[in-house]
Amino acid sequence: MMSAPQSQSTDAGGWQRGGAQAVRRRLVERFVSLLCNMATVVVLFLLFSILWTLITRGAGGLSLPTFLHSTAAPGTGGGLANAIIGSCEQTGLAALIGTPIGMMAGIYLSEFSQDGRIVSLVRFVSDMLLSVPSILVGLFIYLIIVEPAGHFSGMAGTLALAVLFIPIVVRTTEDMLRLVPRAMREAAYALGAPGWRVILNVCLRSARGGIMTGILLALARISGETAPLLFTSLGNLNWSTNLNAPMASLPVTIYQYAGSAYDDWVQMAWTGALLITVAVLATNILARWWLTRNGSAQQ
Amino acid sequence: MNKIIMDDTTGRDTILPALAIRNLNFWYGSNHALKEISLDFPVHQVTGMIGPSGCGKSTLLRILNRMYDLYPGQRATGEVLFDGRNILSPGLDVNVLRSRIGMVFQKPTPFPMSIYDNIAFGVRLHERLSRADMDQRVEGVLRRVALWNEVKDRLNASAAALSGGQQQRLCIARTIATRPEVILLDEPTSALDPISTARIEELLDELKQEFSIAIVTHNLQQAARCADRVAFFYMGELVEVDTADKMFTAPHAKRTQDYITGRFG
Repeated sequence: MMSAPQSQSTDAGGWQRGGAQAVRRRLVERFVSLLCNMATVVVLFLLFSILWTLITRGAGGLSLPTFLHSTAAPGTGGGLANAIIGSCEQTGLAALIGTPIGMMAGIYLSEFSQDGRIVSLVRFVSDMLLSVPSILVGLFIYLIIVEPAGHFSGMAGTLALAVLFIPIVVRTTEDMLRLVPRAMREAAYALGAPGWRVILNVCLRSARGGIMTGILLALARISGETAPLLFTSLGNLNWSTNLNAPMASLPVTIYQYAGSAYDDWVQMAWTGALLITVAVLATNILARWWLTRNGSAQQ
Repeated sequence: MNKIIMDDTTGRDTILPALAIRNLNFWYGSNHALKEISLDFPVHQVTGMIGPSGCGKSTLLRILNRMYDLYPGQRATGEVLFDGRNILSPGLDVNVLRSRIGMVFQKPTPFPMSIYDNIAFGVRLHERLSRADMDQRVEGVLRRVALWNEVKDRLNASAAALSGGQQQRLCIARTIATRPEVILLDEPTSALDPISTARIEELLDELKQEFSIAIVTHNLQQAARCADRVAFFYMGELVEVDTADKMFTAPHAKRTQDYITGRFG
């Protein structure tokens, strides 16, 4: 028993096996993991420095009047209320319009793919929309809605955001439905369920965590968009919830205020940036929580 | 014409088979997967289907509830007679067919819903039951598969939390809840541990009192233990069908003998 391992090890060099090559391999290993760790530190440093800057510069403007008063002329103590309500209204409505359209298109791509050519065409267009620069979407809505109507409007802004929102939902819905095991679909069909019930009661239910996450991430994405709103909802200095009139929004207000020469406007821009960041962060955390909760409930 | 005389293995009188396959051919695109199959599935018996991978036994099972309809490019010719009708005919309501010929799959596939709803889902597709009747149906089938005592306190919990063996018994309960006449099982224990497997096999013995059963299995011992009759498939052909006893002790065909003695497969 004792001699067996000894005699084996003498053949292949024992603990010295590999010699200089093994030493080199260990050094490379250490070097690469050091590089990875440094990259992580750089990324985290950037993220936290952004957050820190936003908090230190923006927190000063976090007061009740900021949430209650609309934007006003420099030096007169205005707030961001009109921009906040405008952003909520436009992103909320865009999500309301985009979610059913995006989900239905995603369901079509994943479940009704009998005709391969139409499906790949729809998928190609949707994927292209996903990577179109957002300012082009703004110009597109400007041409088809703002110009014919003769004025900027909250509705135009909403539609521009919805155009950005839809392809994200299409992609996640399709991807999540494709993850539903074929066996689960077949099991539902095997009970005598018609196709629409299989999709609605089994596939969508199984994929809902992932789809919900996609919707929340899409919401986070459009809530920070500025470019598509510049040519559509334009901005509004006064409180307005009228979709048929120009409407304020946080990103556009930040864009206008940050470049101004007035200290209190610059302060408000920082505060607005902080508000958006916190909202996006909260949405992301919510999405992750939703995904892990549903993921653990299903597997 | 279809009153085929069968060898009497259970002491019952000779009766119409639950399912009768006549000259069945099947294609995956241009691949001729099943060739001229004729086979009976006797009422209240377990018919086992064995053969090496790719021999067509699972394909045959998936024809019997028209599962192949889901996939374009798959087609069948010939006849499968069930309750006086050819189930391959295009006008047939496949949803009704599938409620009368249920199927249990290789991997347990609980739906992402509660234990109760997993069973109620299939029943609601075909019947409108009162809450009390539904409760009774759910309890009845769960008792039937010996799962009731394990889950009665958590009927509203997610079915995904059950063990693999419990999930498979739930899937069987779900299948018999729609009150089928035939149950198709596609390697129902290949993903389960030996103890869960034994419980499913016991269950089959009991279920055949009420249902006609067709089971595909890779496990020859399982076929010998569970099946009354065994059919051996090889390369898309039905080589031999006989009682389980004869099949495993004195097969006629050389290929059957080679397969069951482990010479290939």
